[in-house]
Amino acid sequence: MIFVTLALGLVSRNSSYRSFDEPLEAAVTGLIASVETGEDGVLRLSRELPDPRYQRALSGRYWVIGTATEVVGQDRYFIIPQLSSRSLYGTLLDISNPDYAFLAEQGQEPLRFTTPGPNIDADENLRVIARQVILPNMTTPVVVLAAADRAPVIRSIQNFILTAVTLLLILTMGLIFAVYAQVRIGLRPLFALGKSIADVREGRMASVEGEYPPEIAPLATELNSLISHNKEIVDRAQTHVGNLAHALKTPIAVLRNEAAAAKTTPSRIVTKQTDIMAAQVDHHLRRARAAARGQAIGVRAEMDPVIDGLVRTLPRIYRDKGLKITKTGDPGLIFRGHPRDLEDMVGNLMDNAAKWTSSHIDVTLRKVENGLCRVRIADDGPGLTAADIETALKRGARLDEATPGSGLGLSIVKDLADAYKGSLTFSRSDAGGLQAELHLPIAIDP
Amino acid sequence: MRLLIVEDDADLSRQLKSAFKDAGYAVDTAADGEEGHFLGDTEPYDAVILDLGLPLIDGVSVLQKWRADGKDFPVLILTARDQWSEKVAGFDAGADDYLTKPFHVEELMARLRALLRRAAGQTTDTVELGDLLVDNRAARAFIDGMAIKLTSHEFRLLSYMAAHKGRVISRTELVEHIYDQDFDRDSNTIEVFVGRLRKKIGTDRIETVRGLGYRLLDPESEGA
Repeated sequence: MIFVTLALGLVSRNSSYRSFDEPLEAAVTGLIASVETGEDGVLRLSRELPDPRYQRALSGRYWVIGTATEVVGQDRYFIIPQLSSRSLYGTLLDISNPDYAFLAEQGQEPLRFTTPGPNIDADENLRVIARQVILPNMTTPVVVLAAADRAPVIRSIQNFILTAVTLLLILTMGLIFAVYAQVRIGLRPLFALGKSIADVREGRMASVEGEYPPEIAPLATELNSLISHNKEIVDRAQTHVGNLAHALKTPIAVLRNEAAAAKTTPSRIVTKQTDIMAAQVDHHLRRARAAARGQAIGVRAEMDPVIDGLVRTLPRIYRDKGLKITKTGDPGLIFRGHPRDLEDMVGNLMDNAAKWTSSHIDVTLRKVENGLCRVRIADDGPGLTAADIETALKRGARLDEATPGSGLGLSIVKDLADAYKGSLTFSRSDAGGLQAELHLPIAIDP
Repeated sequence: MRLLIVEDDADLSRQLKSAFKDAGYAVDTAADGEEGHFLGDTEPYDAVILDLGLPLIDGVSVLQKWRADGKDFPVLILTARDQWSEKVAGFDAGADDYLTKPFHVEELMARLRALLRRAAGQTTDTVELGDLLVDNRAARAFIDGMAIKLTSHEFRLLSYMAAHKGRVISRTELVEHIYDQDFDRDSNTIEVFVGRLRKKIGTDRIETVRGLGYRLLDPESEGA
């Protein structure tokens, strides 16, 4: 654009200058044709130049006929005027130029140069064309020159260039904007797709949805396949893990029962070892599940149905205790993870509370900052000391041998909470018992 | 008391059957969901132990069908998959208790006794009728602290009648709750067992109600 503008400016200027010079050349030629020597040896014009501007004072058009004289020691020549246009009005043109000497040698080509004009107010920029000519009856050559103010032309060229530049700039901006708009509109489906993918990753949606143009639709389809394939792999891993559990636990149960019945030394060893096997199977299967779960993309679980199920079921398990569980808090929260993991975490904490509580468990669910929710489970039991809590969190430790349970429950909750980059903390509940707080990531609406 | 054990693993099933029989129960077994469902639907059990991972029809479905059919016997579910979703599903389907494998048989038995107690409205494993004590946990009976030797069928009879003490129980009902499926059922043998039991615990403890059945007398309610 800039190059084009400059080229345009250059071309128009040169063309303007050329057309500017033509009348001056014609004036010089006209002067040469009409200059003659009078009887008194004084030069005069047989006829005036047709252009009235040469008569008007300080009009910007001037002519001078005179002899070129060298300035001593300066390598410059100036003209001693013998005839000049009325427009000069008695002023002198500053037309000294070293090249006057070459006029004679140059032959046909006139001398062209610029010089400031006499009209200081008008800020004249005179274009001068000069020729040397030998008149009949004279021996020394005279220099005939015509000058015209180029300032208006220069100004109009500048205006032209300015207008051209402005228009071209506008055109450029327009083009840039048009291209930008076209790209934005053209790429809108991609932006929409990008947003849909982000929704899936943040757990707000289960799959990529929307109508896309034929160029992009295959991408959306492939993404959905990828998501469901990923889920399938994770689910299959869970199924394998579950099947392994089923396959191992029954033989362990059978071995243990046989050993329990026999009551010999080998059978006592078998009992002990099967207990260890059972605990190890439990532990490693849970860890495998937790590790696999963290990988699934876009898995989400509505929290209310999961927690409501537990609130329903725990009193039935602990029927003899007459357990009462209340659930309050923000409804409609969605956990960014697998429902089974949510169950494991909340279920184990509620189960722990049920074992220790006297009669009442309070479950509250609240949305907090940083894209997390807080699940608080408070019981009215005896509570735990800081040392007890630490023991409970260590894998496989059991606080109270009299209370039934595998003892792995709380450490699993911690493992899962860590896997989801959440947290598990304990404190004292208002009722004086244990309060467990679980912070978990939830799906946030953008 | 008559139990149904629905468990597809043959070894475990055999172990449980033998353990519960030793403890004084009549035990029937089924190895898949279809057979289990059929038995539960047609036979009068006092309690059922139901494995969830069954072939043909899964345990939760079997339980749902039973409850929909109005079967209200206590059910204890067993499973290898120790997941809360399974427990929630089991209890929502109508289970009364839950135990994960591997378990200790003693714990299973204690939990089952608890279910039976609750069903009978009792709070302990022992039933006292005056100086007669029926200990369901030990599967033994005592009079004045002295143990009485009873055969398994005799104990079952006494235990069942003690659970329904003071109520008249028909011979048919006794037959259905004392014998497992394999036993050759002849309701006359009930009379033989009642007779033998009377000899061991005292004739006047069991009343014959003509045309209706038998009743184990509860001294408290009789205003002795």
